[in-house]
Amino acid sequence: MNAAKYRFSVFDVFIILFTLFFILLFLFPVYIAVLTALKSPLELAQSILAFPKQVYWDNFREGLAKSNFLRSLLNSVLVTFPSVVGIVIVSSMGGYAICRYGKRYWDIGKMEKVFLASLMLPFQILMIPVYRMFRNLGMLNTRWGAILFEIGYSTAYATFLYIGFVKTVPKELEEAALLDGCNPYQSFFRVVFPLLAPINSTVAVLHIMWIWNDFNIALILLQKDSVRTLTVKQYYFFGEHSANYGMAFAASIICMIPILIVFAMMQKSLVEGITAGSVKS
Amino acid sequence: MGKHVFENRKVASHLFMLPSFLFFCFSIGIPFVMGVNIAFTDWNGISPSYNYVGIKNFLSCFRDALLVQPIKNSLEFAVLGTIGSNVASLALALLANQKAKTLKSIARMVYFIPVCFSSILTAFIWGFIYKDVFSELFGIRSLLGNNATVIPAITVMGIWNTCGINMMIYLSALQGVPRDLYEAARIDGANRWQRFRSVTIPFLSSAFSVCCTLSLTSWLREFAMTLSATGGGPGGASRTISIYIFENIFQQNHAGYGQAVALLFTIFLAFLGNGVSSFFRRREVEL
Repeated sequence: MNAAKYRFSVFDVFIILFTLFFILLFLFPVYIAVLTALKSPLELAQSILAFPKQVYWDNFREGLAKSNFLRSLLNSVLVTFPSVVGIVIVSSMGGYAICRYGKRYWDIGKMEKVFLASLMLPFQILMIPVYRMFRNLGMLNTRWGAILFEIGYSTAYATFLYIGFVKTVPKELEEAALLDGCNPYQSFFRVVFPLLAPINSTVAVLHIMWIWNDFNIALILLQKDSVRTLTVKQYYFFGEHSANYGMAFAASIICMIPILIVFAMMQKSLVEGITAGSVKS
Repeated sequence: MGKHVFENRKVASHLFMLPSFLFFCFSIGIPFVMGVNIAFTDWNGISPSYNYVGIKNFLSCFRDALLVQPIKNSLEFAVLGTIGSNVASLALALLANQKAKTLKSIARMVYFIPVCFSSILTAFIWGFIYKDVFSELFGIRSLLGNNATVIPAITVMGIWNTCGINMMIYLSALQGVPRDLYEAARIDGANRWQRFRSVTIPFLSSAFSVCCTLSLTSWLREFAMTLSATGGGPGGASRTISIYIFENIFQQNHAGYGQAVALLFTIFLAFLGNGVSSFFRRREVEL
């Protein structure tokens, strides 16, 4: 018994050491970015890894001024959050329909196959057609156009997450609601939808991150500076200021703050929710 | 029971499906059909007129010597990325599922933080690390400037950026393993490795199929991070199929040809994704 206990604790120590090692490894790039942002160009030229002798706030000041950060931040918020609300509503209904009626009605069942196939689509094949369609409809460089596109582009994956989760919601509850005189819509929105809360928050957090960080779509649909989102802004900003690392990192660190706040607030539900969707589907 | 037509189950279920169907058609369905149409033309991407050239574009794909390198590169990304990302995320999930409570929750959070970074920012930070930090630490030249190391180097930054999501999927599967099965195996005299092999792995099978399919197809389509890290260089050593398509459409004015490559690529991905996912599904354990 003693021997077994001893072996066990050595193993545990190894696990803890490995965990710490990977934590440091994962934080290293973040650390480098923060460290660089706090140093003046001169200090950076002398040594990258040394601590700054004096914190150089000008990087942040200059970065904010040059990147026109507030406007891009506003654009990112105005595109991301409405898109995510749309994705949750549209995809929860779709996932519910496919899960409950996919076997009964062939056309609904086929949608699952079509959605699955669409996950493999390389975005490049859509770039030109989407650009032309948006130009002809006058939706180019409009945030609402980008929102509509994001909803449609994300709905297939989100629907999958819902299909997996709806399976775990007992059918009896809806049947009871229908017997009590609810119509199918009331039974979905009043009985089923509240039970989807864990997966709703997972879908929401994942898509907040993805749309916030999206590059492809924002690059072609939001080209004018007044509607550019943060990621595209970063792309051009890095292109223009590739020599001034400190300032570029400072600007992007500030851009990260909102998404880190969202992550910190919703981290718990993210862990719990991913469970359901992807694995059980 | 004189029910209104909208309360009919058939009508209701289709109405539930309708919004996501319409949005899907708007963003993917219609553009895809338009894109397929362009693949049969000689359109240059700018001029208002174009001619239909039948399957000429598709035939050119098979004779295009420039396409060979991007295909090789994308396959290299796919192999390295899929294996690396799944090994890393499974290992991280096991670490984040240990007994020490505080460390466990810190690990879960830290391993997921890189997911908050955009691929552009990832490429920029890692580019800086490879170029300046590594030269200060080890005195070596940038890994991104060397033909042999550029793809592994980009793969590492990609794994750092995205493996948090796979980790969460594995983690949730790990949490679904019933505790008493471990106990039973322990009583039967199974050692640590045997318990992992015969108890844990079978419960991970559906997580495997999700993670492998998703990471394989997304690595094959590798685009934004490589584009901003190296632009496909040095000398095309990291040019992927997606970048090649992008260059043809937007820089070399071969929109018709680019769309044709994209279409063949799509068909390949659909078959591959389907194959991989049914390969894993067949091995899945019914729980």
